[in-house]
Amino acid sequence: MTSSLSHRSGAQARAPWLTLQRRDAIEGWLFVSPTLLGFLIFFLGPLIAIFIYAMSDWNFLSGEATFVGLTNFEDALLENPDFWHVLRNSAVFALGLVPLNVALALFLAVALSRPFRGVIIFRTIFFAPVITSAIAWAIVWKFMLQGEGGPINQMLALIGITGPNWLREPNWAMAAVIVTRVIKMVGLNMILYIAALQAIPRDYDEAAGLEGASRWQIFRLITWPLLGPTTLVIVVLTTIGSFKVFDHIYQMTGGGPENGTLVLAFYIYQQGFQFFDIGYASALAIIMFVIVTILTLIQVSLRRKDDA
Amino acid sequence: MTRASWNRLAWTLALLLLAVPFVFPFLWMVSAGFKSVTEIFGAPNLIPRVWRYENFVEVFTYQPFARQYFNSLYIAGVVTILTLLISSLAGYALARIRFVGAGLLMLLLVTALMMPDEVTIIPNFFLIRWLGLVDTHWPLILLPVFGAQGVVATFLMRQYFLSLPKELEEAAKMDGLSRFGIWWKIAIPMSRPALAAVAIITFLNSWNLFLEPLIFLSSLEKFTLPLALSNFNDSYGLPLWNLQLAATTLTVIPVLIIYLIAQRQIVESFALSGVKG
Amino acid sequence: MASVKLQDLRKTFGSVEIIRGIDLDIADGEFVVFVGPSGCGKSTLLRLIAGLEPITHGELTIGDRVVNDVPASARGVAMVFQSYALYPHLTVRENMGFGLKVRKVARAEREKAVSKAAALLKLEALLDRYPRQLSGGQRQRVAIGRAIVANPSVFLFDEPLSNLDAELRVHMRSEIASLHQRVATTMIYVTHDQVEAMTLADRIVVLKDGRVEQVGAPQELYERPANIFVAQFIGSPKMNILKADTAAALSPGGSLPLSATQCGVRPEHLRVGSAAQPGLPGTVVMAEYAGAETLLHIQLENGDTCLALHRDGPPPRVQSAVTLTAEPGRTYAFDADGVAVHTSS
Repeated sequence: MTSSLSHRSGAQARAPWLTLQRRDAIEGWLFVSPTLLGFLIFFLGPLIAIFIYAMSDWNFLSGEATFVGLTNFEDALLENPDFWHVLRNSAVFALGLVPLNVALALFLAVALSRPFRGVIIFRTIFFAPVITSAIAWAIVWKFMLQGEGGPINQMLALIGITGPNWLREPNWAMAAVIVTRVIKMVGLNMILYIAALQAIPRDYDEAAGLEGASRWQIFRLITWPLLGPTTLVIVVLTTIGSFKVFDHIYQMTGGGPENGTLVLAFYIYQQGFQFFDIGYASALAIIMFVIVTILTLIQVSLRRKDDA
Repeated sequence: MTRASWNRLAWTLALLLLAVPFVFPFLWMVSAGFKSVTEIFGAPNLIPRVWRYENFVEVFTYQPFARQYFNSLYIAGVVTILTLLISSLAGYALARIRFVGAGLLMLLLVTALMMPDEVTIIPNFFLIRWLGLVDTHWPLILLPVFGAQGVVATFLMRQYFLSLPKELEEAAKMDGLSRFGIWWKIAIPMSRPALAAVAIITFLNSWNLFLEPLIFLSSLEKFTLPLALSNFNDSYGLPLWNLQLAATTLTVIPVLIIYLIAQRQIVESFALSGVKG
Repeated sequence: MASVKLQDLRKTFGSVEIIRGIDLDIADGEFVVFVGPSGCGKSTLLRLIAGLEPITHGELTIGDRVVNDVPASARGVAMVFQSYALYPHLTVRENMGFGLKVRKVARAEREKAVSKAAALLKLEALLDRYPRQLSGGQRQRVAIGRAIVANPSVFLFDEPLSNLDAELRVHMRSEIASLHQRVATTMIYVTHDQVEAMTLADRIVVLKDGRVEQVGAPQELYERPANIFVAQFIGSPKMNILKADTAAALSPGGSLPLSATQCGVRPEHLRVGSAAQPGLPGTVVMAEYAGAETLLHIQLENGDTCLALHRDGPPPRVQSAVTLTAEPGRTYAFDADGVAVHTSS
């Protein structure tokens, strides 16, 4: 038979070692090998390394590393007031950013989920900062928020208000950093909410409308509960995002004034790459790892439930 | 007017008011980029009284800005291509190939999914230094490709491959295509939307990357744009506002133009990933 | 062309055994249909033969080769998928020639094979179209054409007609039957539709829960079902199963084997008579008129419902009392486990 499916030599058939399962396994591992290799070298390895570094007293400049056990953690958690200050800042940042971001995103999404003239223009505007580099965004806002001669204060002056020196007073600086970050990132949550809203069948609204529910009642009693899973995911993602903030702080305040905006991500950078205290910075990195891992696990389990 | 149209007017006004802090920074950035330092700190006016085009020339003489622009472009390009390749391979295996350890691997990758670069940056610094790659572009390519970014891309691709009809790939298997052939000739051509999403998000992330350049780069001509932007300072470390804002304009506006052209595609990409930020 | 031999074939997914030891000999050129309810493992069994799933245990022989660990493409089989699985980015011609191209067959030879298959299936006019430009029936023909081009020793069909509408399904069924007559290649066909199985098969394999219930020619399965499951699965409407003592009244003069506890009789073998006649009494509770015949739902005195097909003359009215008798030799005896008890033995 001149079959095109010519029976190749029986070599494969007779080699009992290369079963189809084995072939699958080899191909599977081959396909993931670049990812796996990179993951081991640039993620898992370093992750293990910070646990080792964290147990040493190692100043990069002096070069000597000595094993000190859990001293760095004792330092961080018990003795160093800076650490609690930083953690408090991170918490304030998260607690300020997340509710503001989620509420604004929901408001925008509700306003922009149904088609009307100009809806695309509005969506485009509110999403534009998301794709803008954080550094560029921070540069512009730092410029706008200068104490003297900054556009914001100049305009406030026009209506007779003397604006504060926004980025030089700890509380104002924190508020400014939070608000400008919300403006930058809210578009992302907005589109996630829009997608969720558009997935809700209109029948529900219409049925409720027929029963005489007001728009606010429809939102509160139908839309909001249906958005529950989305909101949970958005809240967790935004919280994780708030712990990642680095370039924004770096460029706008440099952690100041008086460490008023010194958050964990920036503190790690500062301790490791400005003060070269590798051991302590690694202990901080572990704390960040734990926080983000817990949040990731929450978000993964939420997704699971969502899928089910 | 009817109640409904009052309602609509109120919503539109609220949206317009809210839009101000989103639009205003961009306008002021462009405006200040054309002003002299003295005018910047004069009375607030959006249209410059004297258009100082020289700012945009000085940007290129103050730093090797053209070179830095090129660096950002080519690094983002390389990172994007590598990420597409590697993440679609791994994503395909995790979606379609049944192999021992796949579950464990997924679990491991999840830990990296949202991890900030700050967590591993210290050991990575020593690793890169040991490899002799400090002040090169290698860490700017390797760390994003294999870090959280790459994992996000892998999961995105996996999710998409799972949604494709399996029978097509089985038909290809019976037609005699190898696993690699099925991936390249069947799965990849059918995954354009996911590939586009990964490409857009990866490119933007590399384009905006800051921590790695900050830590690894020291030569001006190797800087990428975000680092270059933050470097328009005078000898006291104070910002040279007109130059800094002109340079920022030069980096932000092209991205905004592309965004306006491909608005739908870009927004959808972010909606699809839903994991960034 | 080739025979296919399955020896104690097993497949487990995780801890679940889907295929629980199947032995089967399929002769060269035979048309065998796997049939069974959903979840019975028929598709999995086909995929094991195709090489799309690794075999957990047992031996699969195609021709004279054990192919357990031969990749799908080297087994000499071609498959027609339920969803057709045509490559959306390739034309009909490219779809049909894809396998040959992958195997590096010369262009001229490829063209020849494609046009031959296209002629066989009357696809010539469609060769330069894309799958999205074809109707469901056309796509199905292209999928079959692709299998033909591969020139396999065994054709595998996985519910190929289930996505078509009723009329087209009947038409394609006859096309597949005539294809088998022309190419005379071994064909294995999976369906959940017993009518498809009856009309197409040389032999039917009835599967349930990963095991073979019975293998046989369509007529054999219809006339001599091995157990209640097969008896009820083959034939439509379903066979009635009555308690043996109730059923005795159906055949005045006849008798069931002693070991029989249940008795089956097909609706088409029941005669409906007036209440005065001897037989099993009951009441017509519903009548489904379908032109040539009427399906009667008859409630027996013990509350059971019995189906009967009425063909000749005006059907009895609903609520009227009737008696049922079975055509001689058309009752089936089963023991307590549902296994057939043969009167002859």
